[in-house]
Amino acid sequence: MKMKGIYLLGTDKLPSTVRIGEGEKVRTTLVALPGVAADVNLEVVLDGEGAELDIAGLYVCSGSDRLNLNVNVRHDRGGGISRQLFRGIAGGGSAVEFNGLVYVAPDAQKTKASQESRALLLSRGARVQAKPQLEIYADDVECSHGATVGFPDEEELFYMRSRGIPEEEARRLQMVSFLAPVLERLPQEFADRITEEL
Amino acid sequence: MKEKLLEIRNLCASADGHEILRGIDLEVGRGEVHAIMGPNGAGKSTLSAVLAGKPDYTVTDGSVGFGGKNLLEMTPEERSWAGLFLSFQYPVEIPGVSITNFMKAALSARRKAWGKPEMTPPEFLKLMKEKMAFVGMKPEFAKRDVNAGFSGGEKKRNEIFQMAMLSPVLSILDETDSGLDVDALRVVAEGVNSMRTPETSFVVITHYNRLLEYIVPDYVHILKEGRIVRTGGVELVAEIEKNGYAAL
Repeated sequence: MKMKGIYLLGTDKLPSTVRIGEGEKVRTTLVALPGVAADVNLEVVLDGEGAELDIAGLYVCSGSDRLNLNVNVRHDRGGGISRQLFRGIAGGGSAVEFNGLVYVAPDAQKTKASQESRALLLSRGARVQAKPQLEIYADDVECSHGATVGFPDEEELFYMRSRGIPEEEARRLQMVSFLAPVLERLPQEFADRITEEL
Repeated sequence: MKEKLLEIRNLCASADGHEILRGIDLEVGRGEVHAIMGPNGAGKSTLSAVLAGKPDYTVTDGSVGFGGKNLLEMTPEERSWAGLFLSFQYPVEIPGVSITNFMKAALSARRKAWGKPEMTPPEFLKLMKEKMAFVGMKPEFAKRDVNAGFSGGEKKRNEIFQMAMLSPVLSILDETDSGLDVDALRVVAEGVNSMRTPETSFVVITHYNRLLEYIVPDYVHILKEGRIVRTGGVELVAEIEKNGYAAL
């Protein structure tokens, strides 16, 4: 059976608003596979001292897939940690929008927040718009964000082909490599099924 | 005269509209080791990239025969299946893809292309183990991602490991000595020397004479401004050492 749609692992709380209380930790991974046409709105509020969020996501879009991924992380209390890691591949005529907001309230001192979003475009017709946004009202915080959208590395492709790996398989391995930081968070069997269908 | 494995005739190639190779003539017979030396910018790396089929270059004139076939009509993977190997000057890092999976993909594709059955997992693992030991790689490297976080020496060792795994008939070593300390250099050279047979040939591209103290070539060619300007025996190396490239 071909896998389709959106999978959310590690929690049953999302995708409604999630509140993370004092000293609580939430780790979750979002997976969106070909055949998707959806708005995904995730709002996470770090509501207690020292709350921790570790969220990652991967998406693979093709054809006329459409994905709007809105991730809104709010640090309302101090000492919280949030990590976001998103990797996505867009091919065909698919369109992806990623909006990542990190909000740090004036009282949320000693907050650590990071957000990384990277996308790989497989065709000229695919579109990925990444809009990271930081709204920081506290002064003693560590926040970082990075967003990139790019095409597959030609040198990497040539390297693999020079070893006799056919172009198609080499392109698949490039995708596996690109998604690896998120894939390794998934149960092996699930990760294998995703990579076999790339 | 030995049968020629590689026959390059008047090879001209350009990149981004700039002519880099301006009529290369070179013949490599089976069992021979050829060194190509030359100053920076002479076209040494371009020559190796064109032979391996890198898409960035346009061949504007000339021909290349490889084992009687037209090399220039083949894709990079077809050249590999036909027995050509290029050891990269800058091996590429592929995080998230283990050396094991990488070699599995490379070997199963060539066996498929040759119409041979796939290796069984025990056969494959045995070969991996044997070749890793051959280049002095620790067994745990099998699980490491291809070149990711490797030191310069580890990357070059991994190139020689892949060469041993694929058992090519023609290996092109593009500046394999650059950035290597003496120990790593010796490992590379020993790997190459023990793979020398009457059937296998090597083209060793280098800027310095250091590697050629360990891998003794049958012929030395000097490449300058996209052309081979001198061909000789190993005595040419000493001449360059003494007088430099400018005198040629």
